[in-house]
Amino acid sequence: MLSRPLALLLLVAAAQASLLTLHAPRVTTYDSTGNGIRTEILKLTQKPAIPMAVGPTDSLKLTFQIIEEGDDSGKGVQPLQTFLRFYDPHTGEEGIQPLRVTAAGKAKFDLNMAKPPLSIPPTSKAPLEVTLILGSPKHSPVKLALFDIQLPESQPAPQHPDEPSFHLLPTIEHTFRPTQKVPARAISALFTLFALAPWGVLLVLWSQVFPGAPRLFSPSILPFTASLGAFELLLFWYWVDLKLGQVLLYGGVLGVVTIFTGKTALASIGARRIARK
Amino acid sequence: MPPKPAASEPTSAVHTLWKAYNENTSDRLKFIDAFLVFLMLSGIVQFAYCVLVTTFPYNAFLSGFASTVGQFVLTASLRSQVNPDNKNEFKDVSPERAFADFAVGSIVLHFFVFNWLG
Repeated sequence: MLSRPLALLLLVAAAQASLLTLHAPRVTTYDSTGNGIRTEILKLTQKPAIPMAVGPTDSLKLTFQIIEEGDDSGKGVQPLQTFLRFYDPHTGEEGIQPLRVTAAGKAKFDLNMAKPPLSIPPTSKAPLEVTLILGSPKHSPVKLALFDIQLPESQPAPQHPDEPSFHLLPTIEHTFRPTQKVPARAISALFTLFALAPWGVLLVLWSQVFPGAPRLFSPSILPFTASLGAFELLLFWYWVDLKLGQVLLYGGVLGVVTIFTGKTALASIGARRIARK
Repeated sequence: MPPKPAASEPTSAVHTLWKAYNENTSDRLKFIDAFLVFLMLSGIVQFAYCVLVTTFPYNAFLSGFASTVGQFVLTASLRSQVNPDNKNEFKDVSPERAFADFAVGSIVLHFFVFNWLG
């Protein structure tokens, strides 16, 4: 159990120890007759100041050998992945060209502008940056900036029909309904009095025509009126605090209670009414 | 329909009506009638506020007005069902049953009103 992470740690340490580098990286441009135009021995720490110019009839050749850093025995490394990346920093277009590397770590890349490979991205007036990407499970990954290449200008990359929809759209200006105007406090107060006035009228009228409730507090009637009052309180509580599910639940329970109290109360009233007749 | 009185005595008809109502209506029915008058006044005041001042908040006005109207309908039907003079119209409905219906209807109405009061 403990040996697994330990083994991984050792592997990581071992991998960190070995870095890949190039031996004798060299790039040459040729014209259409095969005569060499320019040769550059690539210093991996610094790109050549002037980009390699390749005309429409010219060709370019890149050769190198991949070795482990610090290893002067000449033994090469064949990494799992060797890619040449062409990148246009202005347009953001890039192309990846996989390279074949021999077991001895030697690789070469031929670029013939008469028949350009598909991996070259659309070119503009600016030179492309050429970088080498190496991936190997036993070594740290490496990305080496080799040189800049000036290729003839190509057709621009086709624009996707949906591309304009990804541009910045105009800011959405929301128009909200203006805030409601609240009437003046005096008017509100006055109409509050008007609204409460009918209660006064009701109380006055009721005091004059109260038919009497002799058995209001008898044990058969009181639970019923109490249940009805409880319903009103439950609804008020719902208005203030409760949620729908709760009020329906409590209302259901209270309803069952009210059914029983109501049956008792109304039956006793009915019995009295019939007895009176 | 009794013949209309002469225009010079318009108060007489109202007076007669009022007198007849007072004498022929039981206290219980007058009790219910007082409640109906209260509901009518309450509804009128709310509507007048809505027309004269503002409809804001509209949902509160609607629920308040609907509560008066709905309660008026329920109470009026209760009144007609418990009126002993209408016994022949409501043979299957005892006054107690009418009151139970009134109570259930009122509770449901109040539930919807409170939902909308906001």
